[in-house]
Amino acid sequence: MITFKNLKKSYAKNVVLDIDLLEIPKGQAFGLVGNNGAGKTTMFSCLLDLIKPTKGIVTNNEINVRESEDWKTFSSAYLDESFLIGYLMPEEYFYFIGELRNVKEKEVNEFLKQFEDLFNGEILGGKKYIRDLSKGNQKKVGIVAALIGSPSVIILDEPFANLDPTTQIRLKKIIKKLSTYNRVTVLISSHDLQDVTEVSERIVLLEKGKIIKDIKTSKKTLKELESYFTKE
Amino acid sequence: MFQLSNLQWKSFFRSASLAGNLFSKIMMFFWIFWSILMSILIGLIHAFGASLTNPEAENIADPFSWLNKEIIYIIGYLIVIRYLFQKIPILNIRSLLLTPLKKSTVIRYAMHQTIFSIFNLALIIYLLMFSAFVNLETDSGNLFLWNVSIILIIYITNFLNILLNKKDKLVFVLFVLLTVLKILEYNMIVDLSIYSEMIFYSFYETPILVFVPLLLLVYTYYYVMMFFRNNLSIDTGLSMKVKEAKMNNFDWLNRFGSAAIFIKNDLRLITRAKRARSTTIMGTLFVFYGFIFMLFGDVYGETGEFFGLFFSTAGFMFTFCGMVPSWDSKHYPLMMCQNITYLDYLKSKWYLGIIGTLFTTTLALIIYSYFGLYYVIVLICCSLYNLGINSYMTLWSGAFNRTAIDLESNKNAFGDKKSFNSKTLLLAFPQLVFPMLIFYFVSVGYDRYIAAYCVGVIGIFGIFLRNIFFKIILKTYKSQKYSALSAYKQTN
Repeated sequence: MITFKNLKKSYAKNVVLDIDLLEIPKGQAFGLVGNNGAGKTTMFSCLLDLIKPTKGIVTNNEINVRESEDWKTFSSAYLDESFLIGYLMPEEYFYFIGELRNVKEKEVNEFLKQFEDLFNGEILGGKKYIRDLSKGNQKKVGIVAALIGSPSVIILDEPFANLDPTTQIRLKKIIKKLSTYNRVTVLISSHDLQDVTEVSERIVLLEKGKIIKDIKTSKKTLKELESYFTKE
Repeated sequence: MFQLSNLQWKSFFRSASLAGNLFSKIMMFFWIFWSILMSILIGLIHAFGASLTNPEAENIADPFSWLNKEIIYIIGYLIVIRYLFQKIPILNIRSLLLTPLKKSTVIRYAMHQTIFSIFNLALIIYLLMFSAFVNLETDSGNLFLWNVSIILIIYITNFLNILLNKKDKLVFVLFVLLTVLKILEYNMIVDLSIYSEMIFYSFYETPILVFVPLLLLVYTYYYVMMFFRNNLSIDTGLSMKVKEAKMNNFDWLNRFGSAAIFIKNDLRLITRAKRARSTTIMGTLFVFYGFIFMLFGDVYGETGEFFGLFFSTAGFMFTFCGMVPSWDSKHYPLMMCQNITYLDYLKSKWYLGIIGTLFTTTLALIIYSYFGLYYVIVLICCSLYNLGINSYMTLWSGAFNRTAIDLESNKNAFGDKKSFNSKTLLLAFPQLVFPMLIFYFVSVGYDRYIAAYCVGVIGIFGIFLRNIFFKIILKTYKSQKYSALSAYKQTN
């Protein structure tokens, strides 16, 4: 379970995130939507202890992320390119992440096999460093690396942006599988309402840092969200 | 032009490392002031024919002829020093390409920034001081034109430096060549200085020759400008060269445990990113630093010699490790989220410093052991101090490091910041001054052997205090984590 409690982040007087209470139970596929500046990335950054909240507590599996580093053992994330190491080859990067998560090289190779069609032959065995890959391929590397070592909490910021349609569809399948079969808590943010409704069981709508809607996904959800955003 | 300098001001004042920048700017002014003062002084001393480097030879009979002999070396080393230290004008050229500014305006602006560089000014001041006071019987008009010629040559090297941007090997060869020639001259085998005098004295004898460097300068200027003009599009000069990647395993490092995971990456960084590579080469070249002080031992004394040897073992630590954790600035969030504690991460950086220092120490031992046991002892003691004290100090100061290093964009012609950061060197002062003071006072009071042992013993104490040091370091890093993360987000 992930809990955001009285969480507030402000820069000078500008409040960018203000959450009274948000609980995400284990194994939930959680989607976060909102316009630019709604606070989605800020929220994820607080959860990953990358920024210091002005007020409040974030706990990940009962661990206060500010006080202990133990959450790192079961959580993983891909927010942006700063989660990649440009001067490594994709394989080296996967092995590096694997080593940190106690997954041996052989097991990493085994694990990567299921992504062969996702990689489309452009990533593994190529003679390129990550810095020389296209933006879309870089993203694939980052997202797949976040899945190594079967973490129980996975945080992905805008995973579908920049990806080609085929990859988007494949990625959605992977994410669905993770939460339904493996009881993995998956946190996703997205601008694309359709994508996010397809993969998540629950959707939270942020606006200027505040939770406006908290919906259990159903057939009506997409319409509901669309009407909210067209209203303005 | 005005808009361009305006941009530069903004990027300076709005950068995250403003405090650091301001401090280094202040130090920079001090450094400029000092350089000018030294130029005046040395110019004067040379003009009156007193030798700085060799006090035994009481006076140089003919200072002007002496300077003409040395000038070839001065210019040669000037090229090397410029390459290592002089900043290439940095402009965010990509974003300026689509503005209504003419390409040549942008390039010229960047090139003109170098004209008043201290590397030029110091030499000009030196030349003028020298010329004003040197005792020559002939025409002062000739001397004036000789000055003009030499200054023109200095500016040729100035613009060449912009072109030389990526030629590590060439400059390295030049450096070795000059040093070898100087040694050969010292041993009277080959004497380049005779030819140097012949060439440069002719600028004095036949002032009309001033047109040779003048034409050369004009040619260099336009060549550099055309070079960048023709290469200033995204797919040529500004593009990134894609090199074929090769896997490196470094399995032999696994014995270092969890730290090995990071050390392997750092080795890959050094072999694959130009900036990391040149920093490492620079750090290793400091091994020869001791020589400078040994050659002129009479001037600098025992403490000077000790300083040189101290630096010989610390080069890698001061240069490469001085930029930790900026090497990871691009992927700092990743490092902060992975399944590894901050402590383990810092320890891996510490190990890297240890390995680097052991490497430079071994090199230094091979080189200097030739001169006798005393040097071996000094090197080992210095190395101990570096391992036991400076390794922590360097790591600790890194917590305040706010400069993001862009490992990827530095392949562009104009976008390359120099790998040598003056701030790194500044932070090194407290790490250097303290052992020097100890050595100085003990060697004056007792003798130089005991002085060296004292420095070594302090280092050994440091090694045993590892856990205490790491507690402090970890605490500092944790308190600085968020501001470092946000500073590294900036690209400039």
